[in-house]
Amino acid sequence: MSILDIRNIHIDFPTTKGVIHAVTDVSLSIEKGRRIGFIGESGSGKTTTALAAMRMLAAPGFVASGEILLYSLDKPDVLALDEEEMRQVRLSKISYIPQGAMNSLNPVMRVENQIWDGIVAHEGALTRAELQDRSDAVLEGVGLDPAIVGRLYPHELSGGMKQRVCIAIGVALNPDLIIADEPTSALDVITQRHVMQTLREVQGRIGAGLILIGHDMGLMAQSVDEIAVLRKGRLVEYGDVRQVLEAPKHAYTRELISSVPLVGGPSFLNAHETVPAASPEAEALLDLSGVAKRYGEVTALHPMSFRLDGAAPKIISIVGQSGSGKSTMGSLMLGFASPSAGVVTFKGQDINKMGAGAKLDFRKQVQAVFQDPYACFNPFYQVDHALRFPFENFGMAGDVQEAMEEACVSVGLDPSLVLGRYPHQLSGGQRQRLIVARALMLSPKLLIADEPVSMVDASLRATILANIHDLKEKHGISIIYITHDLATAYHVSDYVMVLYKGHVVEAGPPREVIGDPQHAYTRLLISSIPWPDMDRDWGSEDDARAALEDLGRIGGTPETVYRGDIPGFELRQG
Amino acid sequence: MSDTTTPTRREKRRMRRFDNPWLNPKLIWGAGLFLGIIAMGILGRFVWDMDLVFTGAGMPRQGPVWVENIRGQVGTLAHPLGTDVSGKDILALIIVGAPNSLYVGVLASLIGMSLGIFLGFSAGFRGGRVDDVIRVGSDVMLTIPPLLILVVVQAAFGDISLTIMALLIAGFVWQSPTRLIRAQVLSMREAGYVQMARLSGASTIHIMFREMLPNLVPYLFGSFIANVTTSIVTAVGLEVLGLGPQRVPTLGRVIYDAINSGALIQNMWWWWGFPTILLAVMFVGLLLVNLGLDEVSNPRLRRL
Repeated sequence: MSILDIRNIHIDFPTTKGVIHAVTDVSLSIEKGRRIGFIGESGSGKTTTALAAMRMLAAPGFVASGEILLYSLDKPDVLALDEEEMRQVRLSKISYIPQGAMNSLNPVMRVENQIWDGIVAHEGALTRAELQDRSDAVLEGVGLDPAIVGRLYPHELSGGMKQRVCIAIGVALNPDLIIADEPTSALDVITQRHVMQTLREVQGRIGAGLILIGHDMGLMAQSVDEIAVLRKGRLVEYGDVRQVLEAPKHAYTRELISSVPLVGGPSFLNAHETVPAASPEAEALLDLSGVAKRYGEVTALHPMSFRLDGAAPKIISIVGQSGSGKSTMGSLMLGFASPSAGVVTFKGQDINKMGAGAKLDFRKQVQAVFQDPYACFNPFYQVDHALRFPFENFGMAGDVQEAMEEACVSVGLDPSLVLGRYPHQLSGGQRQRLIVARALMLSPKLLIADEPVSMVDASLRATILANIHDLKEKHGISIIYITHDLATAYHVSDYVMVLYKGHVVEAGPPREVIGDPQHAYTRLLISSIPWPDMDRDWGSEDDARAALEDLGRIGGTPETVYRGDIPGFELRQG
Repeated sequence: MSDTTTPTRREKRRMRRFDNPWLNPKLIWGAGLFLGIIAMGILGRFVWDMDLVFTGAGMPRQGPVWVENIRGQVGTLAHPLGTDVSGKDILALIIVGAPNSLYVGVLASLIGMSLGIFLGFSAGFRGGRVDDVIRVGSDVMLTIPPLLILVVVQAAFGDISLTIMALLIAGFVWQSPTRLIRAQVLSMREAGYVQMARLSGASTIHIMFREMLPNLVPYLFGSFIANVTTSIVTAVGLEVLGLGPQRVPTLGRVIYDAINSGALIQNMWWWWGFPTILLAVMFVGLLLVNLGLDEVSNPRLRRL
């Protein structure tokens, strides 16, 4: 039985540059109790289509033609409802679970009051006891303790808990349809698994339909029954999840599936002849000895030491969840933060005790690629500024314009399309590649790449990582790759360190550490990755809960499981 | 559908405006009014006889053209806006006075802004003790009503020049730009492009003036204009109390003289009416410029 029908809808956004057809002729039908995944890159119209069903399109967008029918209404035509009727439909018939739970909850209201808000808005005033019962029931339904969590404020909750509170609000009125807009994109894999399983379980219990919006093929494979692939506002493929994954009909779907790197799967990197090792250097390129970082009472990084020798370029991956201390390590290595204990030396010099001249030289030799490609460019200047300024500031030889164009070509960008433009005119992927091009232009000895692809569309991740990998292969730059994504670390790196609560828990070559994990935390991380493979199941909700409890027991162990060495790199605790 | 694909002429005009934010009607009108007053001050000197600002330049208490005064005399073109109690020509007073009032406002605001930029950047960048002192200082100063202090100070000074008055007012308009810039610097310091600039080996001066300041321009403009308004209001307030410069005509001084010589009782509305209208035009112009700039710098406020 179908609960929602979308028939031939077209959604237009009139702008100064003409009308943008955000969605063109999409027809879908959502069955009771079924889960549909909307997948596509940003701008593909997946969120727009789903929001049209709630009539929550951002101005100036509007449904130009087509029908949206919600069968549980007396008059099923959603587009014909007036504002008050539509308000009644939202949450009680169709609910929405937003992407950023942290921004969606009211920071000055207790969790249970926020659940009551929705109930009162639809059912009128109820007694306090009734409301309390209702909120307790839904909170329990999403696996939160109502007596404790209900009385808390949003800032007292973790990211995963906030997202589950959002789910609780969304299902409080037993809607017919739940729209979940990338509900786990801000969460790490372990929490992601738990939240998705909660969502699936609650949705199954109330028998609602679910639209899951996302761009991760793996997550879709583990969570939905049917997949709708959208591209540039058109529905390019729609079918059963197994059929779409195993026998994709459209070339774009195949591209999406193959863009997910698999542990043990085929590599997405370009094959190269490795540059011959440079003359061995006596001094280590980067040396951390007994480095620790504390912020007041909190220890972000426990004492650890490693020595990276620059003779042959290597990619060292630092893997961990948010809060594991991996970004702290990055800023310590860049000299943006000074260690609470220990010394960081670059080519034998303590980076926190350098004079102005030495510091400039250090900056030239150690570059970085940051997570957020949107913030990395000064909106006031054309993107050239970010490339030209360091080139001139470091007094590098050669023509700037030529160097910029060359670097752009090396990362697969057409210089005439990107140079001379303002940052807002470029896509996130283009900007991140420009940052890689910038690093390439300066030809540093060491590059710190802090989550370089986590904010880029899935289909572009592989290309950008290949660009970064080329820096090592073709240009002899050593790279510290900081990430939460084990599958990419498996492919690009020569050595992997797994960080948990500021300790290195497991380290060694990727084939051992990620291919055959020994430490419980590494194992949990790997089993939480959603694979785009129907036969490799994610496990049930109980598994996820058990795994989380397990993790609580492990804590940060000071012992590291060493899984082998590679020449030119040494690691030890303390 | 068809009405969105073929925009009407009116829509096309609005779209062009959307493309070029500087074609903002509020901004254009505001700047027009503001420039009109400046033009009046400059051109007026060539068209009108400036010697008429002195006492006894004409018959006292004359009305504007065709308006009868209480003695039954009808105003003439010799003094189109009438004369005041001592025979000064109102038109000449306004032509000289309006630019003087603007001068005080703009100078005070410029000094205040410069102080604010310096203190805001110092507080945001240096942090620690410096930040504490600047923050507490500006917060305390914000709570003090400027007119109260200035009345006391000016009264002690006696006769002062326009520039000294501007300097005194500047002492009360640096707090809000300081707070604004400090807050922006604090949030911008962690921005990706500032990190990138640090990676590029940029000096602190470069980060402040080349990376951060350009992005602050819209805020600075808005704050500057708001400060000009505040400064003019403060200056006029002092002048109306008779505490402004004694020898130089200003709009506030004209109103002071009007009140002092019983304009309200004698129904001599032109004594205070014309300077008030001019002040109103000035404020409306500044307000429109401020609103316009706001829309220029914040595209979300622009409506298609």
